[in-house]
Amino acid sequence: MRQLFHVTPSGWAGLGTAAFGILILPSLSNSYWLSVFTSMGCFLLAIAGVAFMYARLGMVSLTQVGLMGVGGWIALRLNHAFDFPFEVNLALAATATMIFGWILALPALRMRGLYLALVTLMAAGGLEIIFATFQFPNGGAGFWGVQTGSGAAFRRPWIAQSAQAYLRYVIACALLGFLCIELHRRLQPGRAWALIRRSEAAAMAAGVNVTLYKTWAFGIAGLLGGAAGALLAGSLGLLDDGTFRASESVMIFALAVVGGAHSWQGALVAAALYKVLPAVLNIWGVDANLSFVIFGAGLLHAVITAPQGIAGQLLDGLRRLSPKREARDA
Amino acid sequence: MLEIEDVTVRFGGVVALSAVSVRFDKPVNGIIGPNGAGKTTLMNVLSGFVRPASGRVSGDGEALLPLAPHRRAHWGLRRSFQKEEIADDLTVFENVLVQIDHSRSPARSKTAEVEAMLALVGMADRAGKIGAALSGFERRLTDVAKCLVGRPRLVMFDEPAGGMSVDESRQLGALIRQIHGATGAQVLVIDHDVELIRTICEDTLVLDFGRRIAFGPTAEVLDDPRVKAAYLGTEEV
Repeated sequence: MRQLFHVTPSGWAGLGTAAFGILILPSLSNSYWLSVFTSMGCFLLAIAGVAFMYARLGMVSLTQVGLMGVGGWIALRLNHAFDFPFEVNLALAATATMIFGWILALPALRMRGLYLALVTLMAAGGLEIIFATFQFPNGGAGFWGVQTGSGAAFRRPWIAQSAQAYLRYVIACALLGFLCIELHRRLQPGRAWALIRRSEAAAMAAGVNVTLYKTWAFGIAGLLGGAAGALLAGSLGLLDDGTFRASESVMIFALAVVGGAHSWQGALVAAALYKVLPAVLNIWGVDANLSFVIFGAGLLHAVITAPQGIAGQLLDGLRRLSPKREARDA
Repeated sequence: MLEIEDVTVRFGGVVALSAVSVRFDKPVNGIIGPNGAGKTTLMNVLSGFVRPASGRVSGDGEALLPLAPHRRAHWGLRRSFQKEEIADDLTVFENVLVQIDHSRSPARSKTAEVEAMLALVGMADRAGKIGAALSGFERRLTDVAKCLVGRPRLVMFDEPAGGMSVDESRQLGALIRQIHGATGAQVLVIDHDVELIRTICEDTLVLDFGRRIAFGPTAEVLDDPRVKAAYLGTEEV
């Protein structure tokens, strides 16, 4: 039990970063940056899911933003159909997306490596078409709930009505997501995943139900993606199908690799590259598409020199600066 | 007791195992044969990674072939691979614990069992070491401990002494001989190292080109002219 709740130095740094994000960041930000950071927080949660699958199981999922769209769609649908509070919508959207992830996992589990990536990419492409065709509910009638003109209001959590409070809320949710992953890593599923990544045959020989644990991992990625989508819906009040294109899923995976899939710092770097970098370019009056060039350079950099991503390089640099610290604190 | 009856395995046109029948009832048994004889294929049939075209396998009277690989592990089957499979990012303790994670016994007794088996293989002092930091021999010892937890019934080693020094190989042999006494499990060892087999196995099965060419007490089997022929290649005998 002691090991279960043991906080590593990296863990303290993460809690510190979350505390900074919750206590200080909102009061430093104007409305532009509040919306940028809120959306970064949502994508951070989604990136945590895709990075987790890659780091723990070596599985490449190219459908994470599609899953966000599913979570967002369900949250909007529930919001406009019923009077549930936001938390209920969030929980139901995340759970339903988790189940969606499981269903997606069933055919995908027979595949590995490139083929698995292709299957998930096809799923993302399918979702893109569905979103583009039917749009996201905005209070209209019928199952798809779409009306022209301005949409109905989206209820935010009662403790987070203002933009500042909502940013705090999103960061707290992202923290919970990371803690959920870390908890799994320290328990039975984490051990099973480590062995599966080493060799599926060895995992089976050790009594690990490989199908169950791979499906479980898909479910967690779905849960986090769905929650991220619902939070994004809460941030904007409505969703646009352009946000959830298959290409964004590919982008998010690539950035998770650039940032470093093995650590929370990597997910943070990835989310910052994805959301903050274009915002900064925007302020400077530079075309935000320049960020794609930077992403490409970052990917080359990561593939050639940094297998643990930018975060891995930064952490290595820090370790070199303080040689007394134990090398393995991650 | 492990009974293998008429097991045949074909890979396309190649017959990897041809109607092999054998009954292992000694505590420690060996399987030897030249490269490509079908030793590892037989072990993969027992583990469930290869489905035979025909035949039956029963362990302690229970049919094993209908069980999925992980269910066989729950039944009590353990195996090590030619290359030890230790997860780099888990500690020695966790690497062993994985094997009994599925069982419903209380966490305290699982911990005690893992600690006991790590002590038996001599890794108790390194239980907290991370897999990536282990030497080849330490990884092998951890692998052995993994095969011993969870009340195993049949433990199989696929070339456990591969790449080891003479000293390490001897130490491993001594350890394998303790398994039956410590856990009650039957042991099956595949190896090229005839000396290792000679010192630790009571009965030995010899395979060549997928066929059983000899079976019986190890010393007799190793003196069999057909076995010598399979290994050294003489004229037809």
